[in-house]
Formats: sequence, structure tokens, C-alpha cells
Amino acid sequence: MAVDFEPRIVGFLCNWCSYAGADMAGTARICYPSNIRIIRVPCSARIDPLLVVKAFQLGADGVLVAGCHPGDCHYTEGNYYSRRRFAMLHPFLEYLGIERERFWLQWVSASEGKKFSQVVSTFTDGLIKLGPRKAVTVQ
Amino acid sequence: MARIGVFICHCGTNIAGTVDINGVVEAAKQMPMVVHAAENKYNCSEPGQALIRDAIVEHRLNRVVIAACSPRMHENTFRKTVAAAGLNPYLLEIANLREHCSWVHGDGKEAATIKAMELIRMAVAKVARHEQLFPKQVPLTKRALIIGGGISGIQAALDIANAGHKVVLVEREPTIGGRMAQLDKTFPTLDCSSCILTPKMVEVAQHPNITLLTSAEVKEVKGFVGNFEVSILQKTRKVDHTKCTGCGICWQKCPEKAPSEFDVGMGKRTSIYIPFPQAVPPKPVIDTSSCRYYKYLRFMEEKKEGKPPPQCRVCEKLCPVNAIDWEQKDEILTEKFGAIIVATGYKPFDPTIYSELGFGRHPDVITGLQLERMMSASGPASGEVTRPSTGEHPKDVVFLTCVGSRDEQRGRTYCSKVCCMYIAKHAIMLKEHDPEVQCYVFYMDVRTVSKDYEEFYKRAQESGTIYIRGKVSQIRQEDGKLIVRGEDTLLGEMVEIPADMVVLAIGMEHNPGAVELAQALKVSYDVNELFIEAHPKLRPVETMSDGVFVAGACVGPRDIPESVASGGAAAAKVAVLFSQDFLTTDPMVAVIDQMKCGGCLLCTKVCPFKAIDTQVLRDGRTVAVVNESLCKGCGLCVAACRFGAPNLRGFTQQQLLAEVTSLWQ
Amino acid sequence: MVRSFPTRKLIHQSQLGVVDFESEDTWICATCRACVARCPRGVAIIDIMKALRSVVVGMGAGHVPDSLRVTLKNIAGTGNPLGEAAEKRTDWAKDLEVKTFTKGTEILYFSCCIPAYDPNIKRVARATASLLNKAGVSFGIIGARESCCGESVRKAGNESLFQTLAQSNISAFSENGVTKVVVSSPHCYHTFKNEYPELGSNIEVVHFTQYLAELIREGRLKPTRETNLKVTYHDPCYLGRHNSVYDEPREILRSIPGLDLVEMVDHRENSLCCGGGGSRIWQETKKGERLSDLRLDQAVATGASVLATACPYCMLNFEDSILTSDRSDVIKLKEISELVLEAL
Repeated sequence: MAVDFEPRIVGFLCNWCSYAGADMAGTARICYPSNIRIIRVPCSARIDPLLVVKAFQLGADGVLVAGCHPGDCHYTEGNYYSRRRFAMLHPFLEYLGIERERFWLQWVSASEGKKFSQVVSTFTDGLIKLGPRKAVTVQ
Repeated sequence: MARIGVFICHCGTNIAGTVDINGVVEAAKQMPMVVHAAENKYNCSEPGQALIRDAIVEHRLNRVVIAACSPRMHENTFRKTVAAAGLNPYLLEIANLREHCSWVHGDGKEAATIKAMELIRMAVAKVARHEQLFPKQVPLTKRALIIGGGISGIQAALDIANAGHKVVLVEREPTIGGRMAQLDKTFPTLDCSSCILTPKMVEVAQHPNITLLTSAEVKEVKGFVGNFEVSILQKTRKVDHTKCTGCGICWQKCPEKAPSEFDVGMGKRTSIYIPFPQAVPPKPVIDTSSCRYYKYLRFMEEKKEGKPPPQCRVCEKLCPVNAIDWEQKDEILTEKFGAIIVATGYKPFDPTIYSELGFGRHPDVITGLQLERMMSASGPASGEVTRPSTGEHPKDVVFLTCVGSRDEQRGRTYCSKVCCMYIAKHAIMLKEHDPEVQCYVFYMDVRTVSKDYEEFYKRAQESGTIYIRGKVSQIRQEDGKLIVRGEDTLLGEMVEIPADMVVLAIGMEHNPGAVELAQALKVSYDVNELFIEAHPKLRPVETMSDGVFVAGACVGPRDIPESVASGGAAAAKVAVLFSQDFLTTDPMVAVIDQMKCGGCLLCTKVCPFKAIDTQVLRDGRTVAVVNESLCKGCGLCVAACRFGAPNLRGFTQQQLLAEVTSLWQ
Repeated sequence: MVRSFPTRKLIHQSQLGVVDFESEDTWICATCRACVARCPRGVAIIDIMKALRSVVVGMGAGHVPDSLRVTLKNIAGTGNPLGEAAEKRTDWAKDLEVKTFTKGTEILYFSCCIPAYDPNIKRVARATASLLNKAGVSFGIIGARESCCGESVRKAGNESLFQTLAQSNISAFSENGVTKVVVSSPHCYHTFKNEYPELGSNIEVVHFTQYLAELIREGRLKPTRETNLKVTYHDPCYLGRHNSVYDEPREILRSIPGLDLVEMVDHRENSLCCGGGGSRIWQETKKGERLSDLRLDQAVATGASVLATACPYCMLNFEDSILTSDRSDVIKLKEISELVLEAL
């Protein structure tokens, strides 16, 4: 494992809670590793599992999905759908040879800037320990 | 072909201090379809915006990327900027270089610069796939429906009508007035309830902008904000109200009596009746379950043995205008509305499940509302409070609080808010009626949370009412008295009080049918079947269903001032809505490709806003179609569809894929 | 009123950690559940009393009433509170045709220790077994392998003894392949049904009033003999308030032709306790403080000639009350199965 391995992470963040939480981390100047690239979506339920798989196919080392805490969804129930969808996605990713630790679903509220930075830091550290991902062969 | 301009903001040193702006500008220039890249000290400042506007014109840009602070900060600002330069405001994308990059990666300039370039590359990839979007304008019916004719609904109806809009007020009972009409005096001022309420009821009846539908219920609600279509069931009254003058001869002569609902069983009414003398409209209805003629008809229909009961029909014979209409049937009216206010109020808690308190077993155990009717000067007892068992004046009266409130064992966890105060009122009034009366109150806590309430409670104490902290465990009859046994928890001792009368301070609960109505209106409700407001603090009269508002005690226990205030607040929200001639809808909503739609209609089931309808195409296929007025743009349907038919404008599948893909180019 | 004891004070003292280990109040609660049913805040008062007692017992210090101490010792030694030999557990059934439970027997009849050993209450077990025989039910008893259910042991705060008893009964049941048990005592019923599952038991538990009601409904037992008895029924706390079985006992009584069922002032959810729950049955209650005396007054006040109930502890307490108040010529105490047997 290369010591200077920098994992590539794609983060899908819901606009109302987690994206605002990431903004909050910024406003509070809480530093975290710069590996994550954030894509804004209106709701975690907008995230088609296909997008997650696509990111891995292209070479992402990790994918983070973050949404409002259960019960706090801006659209009342979107995050319940995401929770179930991504619970279903896990075994599929494992089948593809993508370790469970590479795909995280987290709840981050608009006021949890600190939590967001911790999530990104822990996730990144875990991926560094895990090392580069084995390439998925697509036929 | 997209011609993209990228404008990178220094934000003073906020971004420029960490990110190598020149490097980023050079990198941006190399990105596909980018024809112009520039830096700017402050993009959001007026000179900065002018620079952007000029560049759009000069370079014939048709897409813009702003690399600056969070889109949650200035997206709207820059939409206006590009619109001022003649571009569609939705052809804009923001790369968040400040909150998501420079501010959080201050410790690594090089990494932050690389990240900034990639964030811009993602934005460029996305903006290239942006389409022009246009907000839609939907016409609006400036007519409000108010469900429930209690004080809250009355207030809302008057306010909207006075603002110049048409109102239909639907009430389930034969009269408006609601629970407040049943009350004698109101705390803490001891105003006579009907003296302050009945003028408002009359105003409703006479207002040219208000149509009053009593004995009516809302059955079905279709449509969306500005354009609701509501089916209202007008129940038969067996009296033609267009002919009836309310002269009163029918109910004076009717020979049949039934317990009065309005007097909660403390008095009787005739079978053709108005609930109380000041009822609005002052026109009667026939109660077919007790009416002698209907008893006769049922007898004949069932072909029972024996002599049929008399046909009666006294009212019909006496009515000077022939308003009695035995053939009148239930009717369904369908009307259009722009907004709906729900003010369905509450139902008093039924205390029979407290079997230890003996309500229904001991006649002298009554509810607070029953005492209220007894106390009312226009009530069945003409204001004279007597023991139901003997007709004597009670000397020792015990009040029990929290019957059906704050009781986890009985499934009512919430405080009903008004009981502490109405008990204080009853105690003061009883003492005023008869100075020899001694009142006792068993309480859990005394809650006095509005202006002048604590002082009112003190007044009750000073009038000689004894407050005992504790619950009552048993009420038994002994020598014509009710022995009330309970614990004084401050003394830690059992106490027994021989009482002439026991009054249960019953709480409030949801009205029957609240859930069905909530489902028809797509309004959410809680475990107690109370309606849920859009936000308990900031949006207290709105609901998650646009154009539907809530007022009064259907949201939770409320006293009269709060019910009036919320009725007025809901009316103000409706007036704001009606101040527009058209409703503008957000164009960033879902759209369904009917060619791809397989007609499984899964999306209609998952949509949290019931914003997806079905449509039958000419070839017979059933497909889903988005109602853009209801869609809130969450995108849940996009990820749910197995055919890939729905797409979310502004966050299309192609755009998000392009963002991901751009990271590896 | 017989006496009061300050639950609130006990709980508050425990919160503050100033429990009076010598206090008699700790042992007064009969776990009748009236307080829990009424408490608006959902406080599990019985569980708190149980916990309080287990602290006193567990510390080894403090006052445990003598009679209770002896009973617990008996149960620990012989498996029954009376200190009788385990082999004698089936003596009540000697001249009846009661089979030993074997594999394939449908139902285990678990009599409870009191109907098994107490000379007076044996008639309950005998009546129940006779009824089961008459209905042609496939049932049996285990005998020496079974021990006290431990319900009141647990309430007395001796958790470890309860665990031992429960484990022993559970393994006795599973070794013999028991899937369904009919019990005479609401206390056995409560602990088998609600507490044994925590320890891995999954047998079906039926109180005999429920089973009897079913037999009568199905026509397997037909009470036909006309009677002119006026009967009042006492709801045992552990059948009624603890497990909401109110209707079956009444249904059985009403099925007896001619029987006039009258209710006492306090009945069903508001029934008074006989004072025997929560290990009170093993402790001496002073005359003048006995709840069963109050309850007997209520029963006599109805004008009934028979007080019917469905719990061995209630039987013991009411027998005492009838004797000490010298009212055996006014009112008779009968268990429901006795009344049904007489009516066949």
C-alpha cells in the first residue's frame, strides 16, 4: 500500500441538511481531508443507486451519501426511502467486490458542521487504510 | 453548442488566500466548451456583477459557472445577474469554492487548488446540460373553503370575507357557533360567552361574501393550491330552508322529545328543533331518529305486528309556508376553491373509561361541559345548579382535573390546557351563585399560562376553594353523598371528602372523522389524530399541503383567544395567497417521459406529495404524469422508476452523471 | 380503610438513596396493580417495590419479615412454600384417575403448590382434575419434578431463587415435551406467560377459567343441574388487572342454570385485592389490616350466599376471613371449578 495514497471520494449531499451541514463546516473553518468531491442533490432520495455504482465504475475509492436525519426530511419521507434503497445496495456492491466500508450512508443535519467534518475524516482515513480499490471489470 | 463562461471569485482573501486563482483560471480555460474564464475580486458586488453581465454579452455566453461561495448563499443573486444579461436564469451553475474548499482546506494550498479546479470542472459539465426553464403561471380561484363553524372558523370566514373574497363555511351541525356556544362564561374575564359570540354568528349569516352550509360535510378534495375541487355533502334537514322563515311554531308544537346534544344530555329538545335559541341559521332540522312520523314510516316499512304509532306530522300541518319537505334527500355539491382552512375543533373527552370515577353510574358525577350547560342562564336549568339525583342545591362540590389529559395509562399524554382555568372559573361562579358552596379541587399541577390566568387562579383560591394535590382513586355512594377518596400527596395522606356533586374536568380530543378529513386533504396527523402544522413555531397555521391551512383546536388543545388568533392568522395567509392573480410554480420539478413510462405507477405510490396523477393516452396506455403545481422537486420518483421515465429538472440524470464522469476526465 | 403505606415516600427515598432497611413499609405492597393502572405518569410502581425488596434481600441486611424468611427457605429447600416433601406433591390426586404426563399428552395440569398440599384447598385441584376427566381431555401431571412457579418469590425480591425455580420448571417442561399448560393459579399463569419467556420458555399458558369456558362453549362440559345459588365473583388481581381476564370466569358462572351472578361494588378493573399478592400471602397481616376482610364485607353486602373466585391465594385469605369473622353460615367460599362440578 502506497503511503501517499489519496482516495477519490464522491459525496452526494442533500440540499437541505447535509449540504448545509457541509457549508456549516466551512463557516466554522473546521478542516477535513480534501479528498471528497461534493455533488448537490435536492434530497437523498434523488440519488439513483446507479449514480453510486457509476462512480465506483469510474474509479472512485469511496462514495458517501448524506441526508437529513430520519424524521427531519425536508420532503417528509425521502430519507426513509434512501435508507432502504442503500440497505439494498450494500450486498450488491459486495457482490461486485466493493467492500462495505467504501460506501457510507450518513445523517448530517444543517447544524452538524462538526459531524460532517468528522464523517469525512473518518471515512477518508478508513479508505486510506483500505488502500486503492481493485478495478471492477465491466464487460 | 454551449458557450460557457467561468467567473472565479476571490472573495477577498477567503478563497484567494488558499486557492491559486490564476492557476484555476488557466485550468478553467482548458475545460471543454469554456470560451471565457475570468477572476473577480467579489463576484457578488455590483461591479463584479457588471463584469459578468458584460462578459455574457461580449463573449456571447449561453451558460455561466460562478465559482464562489455556497449556492445556498447567492444562487438567487446570480440568477438575477444572468437574467439581466438576457440569459435564462436557470442556465447557471455554482461551484462552491468557499465553504466546501478554501475554508475547510486552509492547511493545504495545493490540494485546495486541485479540488477547486475539479469542482469547477463538475459545474462546467453540469451547466452544459442545463436547459432553459420557465416558471409556470397557474390561475387561481379566489374563493376560500372553511371547514368548521366554531369560533376559529367564524373568525377566519369574517376576516377573509372582509378582505373582499368569497367564503364558503361548512359546518357539520345544524348551527354554527361550535363549542364556544355551549359555554356560559369565559375565563379569566367572565365575559358571557354567547354575548360575545352570537354577534359574530349573525355577522357570518348576513355577510354578502359568506355562504353558510350547515348540516354539511366535506367528502372529497381534488386538485391543488389555487384550484381545489371539493365535494360537499349537504345532509337532508327535511325542512326547505329557502321557504322557512324561522317562525318557530313547529318546534313549539312538536310533541316528541329527545335528549339535547347541545345540552350534553342535561336537557331535552323536540324532534324538529334548532339546537339553541340563538342558532344560526335560526331554521330547524328534523331528527329522523326520534320524529314520530319517521317512527311510523319505519314501522310500516318493517311490517311489524300490532298497531302502528301515530303519524303525527304536526309540524307539516302548522307550518305557515309549507317548508316541511319529507322527500328532501342528501345532496352532493361540488365547488371550486383556491384555499382551504380546516377548523374542525375538538370533542370533549368521554370519561366513562375512568370506571373508578363512576361517570354514568352516579348521576351526580358530571362533566365540566355539563356543569357549563347547567350554569348557563339560557340553558336547560336556567342557570340554576342542582344535583341531578335530588334537585337540591349542592353544598360540597369536588372537581377532578386531568380526566383524559396527561394520563399515559388512558392513552392521552397531552395537557388539554383549558381545564385548570375552567375549573377555577366554575369554582368562582359556584361561590357567586351560592356563598355556602364549598369547592375542592384535586389537581396534578395547576397550569396558568396566559395573561391574567395566574391571577384568576389566585382569585379562585381566595374565594375559598381548597386545592388538594393528588389523584382520586375511588368515588362511592354513601348515605346520599358521594365519598371522594384520594391522596393528598403533599401531606402523604389519604383524604375522603363527602360531596354532593363531582365535576370531571374532561380534556379535549380529536373530533371523529378527523383522520378521514386529513387523508382527503393530504394533511398529516399525529398519534392523537390531531392535525400537524407545517412547522410548530414558524408555520403554525400552514400545513405540508400547499393551500390548506389549520386553525383552532383541531391542531391541539387551544383556548378561545388562541383559536381566534389562529383563525385570523390562517385568514391572513389566505389573503396573501389571494393577493396574486396567478400562482408561480418552481420549474425545477419532475417531468415524466411518457414514451418511457411503463405504467407501473410505482411513482404515484412513493411520491410524498401525491403530485403524480395518471393519464390514459390515446393508444390506451396508462401513464404517470406530474402535477407541476404539487411537485416539490425532491426527485424521489426519479430514483424509484425502473424505466427511467421521470427526470428532475435542474438535477437531471444526465447532469448528475456528467458531474460524476467529469471527475475522471 | 385498613392501613396506608406511602409508596411515593418509598420511591422518593430510594431516589435519594436513603432507604430505611428496617421499615415494615417495604413489605406491605400486595402488587395488586391498582396503582399502576391508575398512575397517569406510567410509573411501574410494582417493579420499583420489587427492586427495593431485592436490594434489602440482596444486602443481607435489613428487615425481612420472619414468616417470609421461613417460606423462602422452604421453597429453596423443598420447592414448595409449605416445606412438604416433593414426593407428596401428587397426593391430592391419589384416588382420582389422573395420569402422569408423558410424551403425547396434550395438556399439562399445573396445580400450584397450595392446591397440591394445603388440606383445605386440595379440593380445588381435585375439582379441576375431575372436570378435565369428565370432558375427556388428554392431560397429565408431572409431580415431583415441578416446583413453585416463583412468582411471589420474585416479588419478595429474591431474584436468584426465582431464576433457579424458573429454570428448573422450564427444563422439567421441555424434558417432558410440554407444549401447553393449564394452571389453577393466576400467579403461575402470570409468571409462566409474562416472565418465563424471558428465560426461553415458549409453552402456551392457559388459566383454567379460560380453558373451562372453552370446554363449555364447545359443549364438552354441560352444566345442567339447576341451582338457586346467588353468587358473587371476586376478580383475582393477577387474573384481572394483571392479565385482563375478566369475562371467562363470569361466562362460566352464567352458564350454570339458575345461578344468579351479582357484582360487588368494586369489580373488574376496580376490584379490591384479597391482600395475598406480592408475597403477602406468606406474611402475617394483623387483624384489622386485612384487605380480605373488607372484600368479604363487600361480598356479604351483595346478599350472595357464595363467594366464588379463581385463585388459591384468594381462597386461603377468604377462608381465614370467613372463619375469623364467624360468617361461615352467611357465605360459603367456592372455587369456580367446584361450582361447575356441582352443576354437572
